[in-house]
Amino acid sequence: MSSPENLPLETAQKIILRWDSTASEEAREKMIFDHTTNRDEIDLYLQAVDEIQRSISSASLSDSHHSNPSSTIQIAMARLEDEFRNILISNTNSIDTPLDEDSSFSSSIKRHQDFKNDEDDNEDDDDQNDDKLLRFDSTCSVATTATSSSYRSTSSIREIDLIPTEAVSDLRCIADRMISSGYLRECIQVYGSVRKSAVDLNFKKLGVEKLSIGDVQRLDWEQLETKIRRWIRAAKVCVRTLFASEKRLCEQIFEGIGSSIDDACFMETVKGPAIQLFNFAEAISISRRSPEKLFKILDLHDALMDLIPDVDVVFDSKSSESIRVQAAEILSRLAEAARGILSEFENAVLKEPSKVPVPGGTIHPLTRYVMNYISLISDYKQTLYELIVSKPSTGSYDPSNPDTDFDELEGKPPLAIHLIWIIVILQFNLDGKSKHYKDASLSHLFIMNNVHYIVQKVRGSPELREMIGDDYLRKLTGKFRQAATSYQRATWVRVLYCLRDEGLHGSGGFSSGVSKSALRERFKAFNAMFEEVHRTQAVWLIPDSQLREELRISISEKLLPAYRSFLGRFRSHIESGRHPENYIKYSVEDLEDAVLDFFEGIPVSQHTRRRSQ
Amino acid sequence: MPATTENNQSSFLGRISIRRNQVMSMEGNHDQELEDLELFQKHVGDRFADLLSSTTEDPSSDALLSIGWLRKLLDELLCCEAEFKAVVMMGRDPSQISKPPLDKLLPELLDRVVKSLDVCNAVTLGLDAIRNLQRLAEIAVVALEPRPMGDGQVRRAKKALHSLVTVMVHEDKECGSTKGTERSRSFGRRGGNAGNKDRVRSLSWTMARNWSAAKQIHAMSSNLAAPRGGDLTGLALPLYIMSTALVFVMWTLAAAIPCQERNGLGTHLPFPRQLPWAQPMIGLQEKIAEEWKKKEKKGSVGLLEEMQKMEKVGQLLIEFADSFQFPAENERLDEVRVHVEELADICRKMEEGLEPLQLQIREVFHRLVRTRTEFLHVLDQAGKLSTPTV
Repeated sequence: MSSPENLPLETAQKIILRWDSTASEEAREKMIFDHTTNRDEIDLYLQAVDEIQRSISSASLSDSHHSNPSSTIQIAMARLEDEFRNILISNTNSIDTPLDEDSSFSSSIKRHQDFKNDEDDNEDDDDQNDDKLLRFDSTCSVATTATSSSYRSTSSIREIDLIPTEAVSDLRCIADRMISSGYLRECIQVYGSVRKSAVDLNFKKLGVEKLSIGDVQRLDWEQLETKIRRWIRAAKVCVRTLFASEKRLCEQIFEGIGSSIDDACFMETVKGPAIQLFNFAEAISISRRSPEKLFKILDLHDALMDLIPDVDVVFDSKSSESIRVQAAEILSRLAEAARGILSEFENAVLKEPSKVPVPGGTIHPLTRYVMNYISLISDYKQTLYELIVSKPSTGSYDPSNPDTDFDELEGKPPLAIHLIWIIVILQFNLDGKSKHYKDASLSHLFIMNNVHYIVQKVRGSPELREMIGDDYLRKLTGKFRQAATSYQRATWVRVLYCLRDEGLHGSGGFSSGVSKSALRERFKAFNAMFEEVHRTQAVWLIPDSQLREELRISISEKLLPAYRSFLGRFRSHIESGRHPENYIKYSVEDLEDAVLDFFEGIPVSQHTRRRSQ
Repeated sequence: MPATTENNQSSFLGRISIRRNQVMSMEGNHDQELEDLELFQKHVGDRFADLLSSTTEDPSSDALLSIGWLRKLLDELLCCEAEFKAVVMMGRDPSQISKPPLDKLLPELLDRVVKSLDVCNAVTLGLDAIRNLQRLAEIAVVALEPRPMGDGQVRRAKKALHSLVTVMVHEDKECGSTKGTERSRSFGRRGGNAGNKDRVRSLSWTMARNWSAAKQIHAMSSNLAAPRGGDLTGLALPLYIMSTALVFVMWTLAAAIPCQERNGLGTHLPFPRQLPWAQPMIGLQEKIAEEWKKKEKKGSVGLLEEMQKMEKVGQLLIEFADSFQFPAENERLDEVRVHVEELADICRKMEEGLEPLQLQIREVFHRLVRTRTEFLHVLDQAGKLSTPTV
């Protein structure tokens, strides 16, 4: 672009007037800045504008208002405003393909970057124009062919060229002149209004929905989970690419031309979508707290935390402070929500009111739920270690709550203390539930099953085990073993009582004769009790096979020797009387087999059990 | 120990409270509480009386529905809210707020709070739109300042003023309805010379589709009912007062600041005519409703005072610009100078006041969220037993 001699003022004015769009049809129809036009036209016009500006600043006014430079400059500015708008509109890249997993901003970025790399290698003046056009095309038409990069890899700020370089430099030329003529405001207006639409369009294509806070409160949590997932993906692209690119565009056009004009334009275009974006996260952060929400809220929290450094970079000016502040506020609300939900969860576990006893004394759904929940918590321990900073509140105003001395847990991180507390209150609740069984043995079995389940779950997860600690694990183990012992006592003491020696002999001690009637009563009692226990407890369930085995073995170890010895000592007395089969119904092997039926959860029919001597 | 059941939820303290419509705390602070309740009523009444009188008595203070007046209004709301919380929460057994009739009334209040949050957001968007108007007005001011006034300046001002008035009316009528956004979307795709009209439509950001300020306010006020006779000494009354204040302030904000879908906003709110603390609110409401009717009849903008002034002055300046011939008479120019000064003054007020107003609305937002969270927590602790899903 060779700069010719300064244009004479009159020529300059003529040029300006020729392009007055209020004056002629032709001026309205054609654009000066048209990429198919000769650049000379453009250069000439700009020169003319410069000349008018020069004449104004050297304060030479003429009489007739028609050639009054201040009047002419207005015509020029109005024209430039239109040109500016037109360049922006016709060069705005709209993302035509719907954004899904495969096609994305990043794939267009990738192509652009690849291209750029190639270009850097062939730095050649002659080719520059061609390269520029090529770049213009490649970024204009967004890649529809999928590349391997997906949205998820938007892990750092990556700007793209929203407007090709040539257009940018034209815009800069215009902005420069508008601003130095005092038409800054018009320039910002025009820029803002066009870019706003473009941003809005792209924003919609990213799938960020506009939901009111009321909408979010009304939706199902499952639906919200999907939306949260989508939001996380979209937010990354928004902040790191969409907004960052708009910012860069403002800088490219306005930097150095005036004081923080690029900031003003940037905020103008981006503030709305930015607020809309964060409003969704905000709505989630204030939704009602309930336990199932914890993990998605943590996901959202983590995503936002990851994003905030980039938010701070993109929105770094004074005028965008409110966005930064809002993001930080939302983050802290999400943290509070997580804390609140944990506390709600603990409350819910403590007070879970169902009284219907689980048939067969097996694992209560509450136990499963709680243990699964805290397993998940241990998965999220990175974040939760940071967020959970205080000990659980033990509901001190309610005198019926369990007591826990947290002193012995000193030195453990608060999250771990919470987990232990949760297990404590789970047991507390289960203890209460166990009382609803009419049969005390079943209560004990129930406790044994459930505490054992807790122990297994903790043992099965290294993170959980580390947090709960072996000390407490030992306590739990002790508890279920004790429950097993209590069960045995409750059921078998009276059964084995039938097989005791005392009371069978006459008053003369061992050497006196055995009371046959007493003996018969004993056998009958034993048989009846055993049958009842057998029938009842076959239906009970110990889900864990190893535990089941152990308990059966333990029973057998007490039952079988006792019965064997009893039989050994006294069977002759029965067999010498009438109908021995009414009294000695079972052999030791029969009992041994019968014990195998226990805790299977399957009822036994009486016929199959009868074997004979 | 048996697991706590629903019946055992309240502590033994709660169980022996006297269950008429009075709620007694065990420390025997009954008199203190009654006094607090009365003070609360009085203070609310006083605050709104202040707001009412400031519009009539002192011409130098903020006019009704001006930016300054709205800021005062929000301040009063925050004060009411703080006192309300003190009355209901402090020194009382938290489980009291989960008993009838509060167990129904409190969730209703909390629902109103949620609706208010959306109103806050809508109003904030409206304030952004107004800031846009300010910028257009500033162009006109800057254009009309230099002397001698030439053709170019006037053309420049005219352009800006026409945009200003068109946008103002558009913002008010459709105010970011989806129609507006769609046009702006197609605007992006179209090449070529876009005229004045199209430029206008892309300026305001919108709320969710189908969201309506009028409907929202109406929903907030629909179940607002004064507690019956005997309840007047219990907690139902402060809840009602707070609800009323909240609804009134939100309604006022929506009336003043253009936000999405305000048709039908002018209908009267159900306020209790006989309760003394409500009188100033009723007075204000009547004034505002009158202004609203006028606005609807004339098709003018508003009701933000600065906006209305801006429209008036804008029209006057447009008349001037339309009839301008160089050189203009000095008398005319002097008149114009006065108007331009007025417009500049309005812009200044907006420049100084809009952002603080937005910040205040944000503060109200935060406060409402916090209060709601606290109440929800107490309700969940005391009344609601959540059964975990398996």
